[in-house]
Amino acid sequence: MRRFLLDIFSFDDRPRFERVGFLLFLLVLLIFPWIVTSAYGRAVAIKFLLFALFGLGWNLIGGYGGQVDLGQAKNVGFGAYATALMIVWWKVPFWLTILPGMVIAAAESFAIAYPMFRLKGHYFAIATLCVALVWKELFIFWDWTGGARGVELSIRSGADFVYMQFNSPIYYHYFIFFLFLLQFFFMNWFRKSKLGYQVQAVRDNEDAAASLGINVYRTKVVNYTITGGLGALGGSFMAVYYLYIDPDAVMPLDLSILIAMTVMVGGAGSIWGPIIGAAILIPLDMYLGAWLGAQKRLGIDFMIYAVIMMIIAAKEPKGIWGIIERVIKRQKR
Amino acid sequence: MMLEVKHLRKEFGGLVANGDISFELRQGEVLGLIGPNGAGKSTLFNCIAGYYKPTSGKILFEGRDIAGWPPHLVTREGIARTFQGMKIMPNLTVEENVMIGAFCRTHNREVAKKEAQDVLERMGLTPVAKSLPPGLPIAIQKRIELARAIATKPKLLMLDEVAAGLNPLETKEIVQILQTIKEEMGLTLFLTEHVMEFIMTVSERVIVMAAGNKIAEGRPEEVARQEKVIEAYLGERYAKGR
Repeated sequence: MRRFLLDIFSFDDRPRFERVGFLLFLLVLLIFPWIVTSAYGRAVAIKFLLFALFGLGWNLIGGYGGQVDLGQAKNVGFGAYATALMIVWWKVPFWLTILPGMVIAAAESFAIAYPMFRLKGHYFAIATLCVALVWKELFIFWDWTGGARGVELSIRSGADFVYMQFNSPIYYHYFIFFLFLLQFFFMNWFRKSKLGYQVQAVRDNEDAAASLGINVYRTKVVNYTITGGLGALGGSFMAVYYLYIDPDAVMPLDLSILIAMTVMVGGAGSIWGPIIGAAILIPLDMYLGAWLGAQKRLGIDFMIYAVIMMIIAAKEPKGIWGIIERVIKRQKR
Repeated sequence: MMLEVKHLRKEFGGLVANGDISFELRQGEVLGLIGPNGAGKSTLFNCIAGYYKPTSGKILFEGRDIAGWPPHLVTREGIARTFQGMKIMPNLTVEENVMIGAFCRTHNREVAKKEAQDVLERMGLTPVAKSLPPGLPIAIQKRIELARAIATKPKLLMLDEVAAGLNPLETKEIVQILQTIKEEMGLTLFLTEHVMEFIMTVSERVIVMAAGNKIAEGRPEEVARQEKVIEAYLGERYAKGR
């Protein structure tokens, strides 16, 4: 038990500058809503935390597992819909809707894992993308999900900690900060666990992994299932944060791609990568998008992303974190 | 008997890679497998290790038929292997590579780490424990593969061309390492090799394969004199000319 807690919270295997950096990062986030008082600035911080959380979860399959999954939005959608519908239908308190959402997403991932893992590389990526799009169309088509009209949550006044509805973004900031930390410490445990090592072994060389007693197929399925569950957590938050969800908001292709992109830009397969990626792409997205929109130059931001993506893919597959690590190694020499 | 292979046959489409192979391997023995290119040595290896499913025949390991088992179960049963073309996990450190081997027998990270460090120490790899494998010399990478296989605590260790690409000095080093760990751990070894000198000095007994079949078996010096063996390696004319 003591070992388990230590594995969750300790970074003793990481260099000191990383630990100091992470502590500073937490401190900034803790006081952020008191420094930045503009609604837009606070919204940027909340969205950053949300995407850092998404990225941490996606990193499981995309980074440690080395398989590009372009369908994470479906899991976000499952989480968002589970929370929204349970609150609207049965008035279930928010906190009790998180687990069902994660279980549904994990179960669906588990169920489709068998055909998925008969594919590799680009084919796997395309298959995940298609599955997510099919789910989105189904959610638009079905009546019980509210169809294209979506689901609206009735607005509650003041600060409601049962349904997690607040009239001030400060509450949401600490709320998502808390969820982010949950996911972060889970990932910190994961990367040091037996499963974490096995997932990386399978990524690096399947034959070698099998020769060391690893059930390659089972490892992939378990990893994909957990990734699905983790994606739903952020979805649940989106339901109570936006108070209105529809398939276009919580399950679009853009969302899947943005999640994958934050991790790849930041550095796939490292614990800091998704956070760095979200810290760069989300503010860029929100400020640049708004500014270019005001200039009537819509679409240029997408071109900028594309260029960033190409540079990363061609020059630095380990992302920005890869560059930072290299620079620091060089300085030590 | 540790390993008994009985009438093993492996076909790929119409091609017969292993015709009808039978042999035995005793506990604590060092058995070599030699033969010219395309003789079916690697196919036989892959059948035993679970990478290929035999078309027919039995592979008894400690009395249990493991023919057709997937590789990870074969490893858990106690047979570890190394690969001809090295298959090292490039993004994990040397220590982590070996830890993954150790995780075969434990769930505990501390235990796995401790065991990995022990194996690395014994193989003289401690100085490179924290490095990433790409960029390390071939001889070191071969040793990493060996260390990783040993970390799974096998009873039988199968080495596929472990001396290929090594210079004589490096070969001598790996022979020494093999002999020490064999004695310390009571391992049984089964190895294939192109480097004749290596296999002839290490093996207590060798099997010779040619064109998918076993053509000879016996002590190294005996086998090397057999006409069939010379013929398989050097051609008919050379064998007759002696």
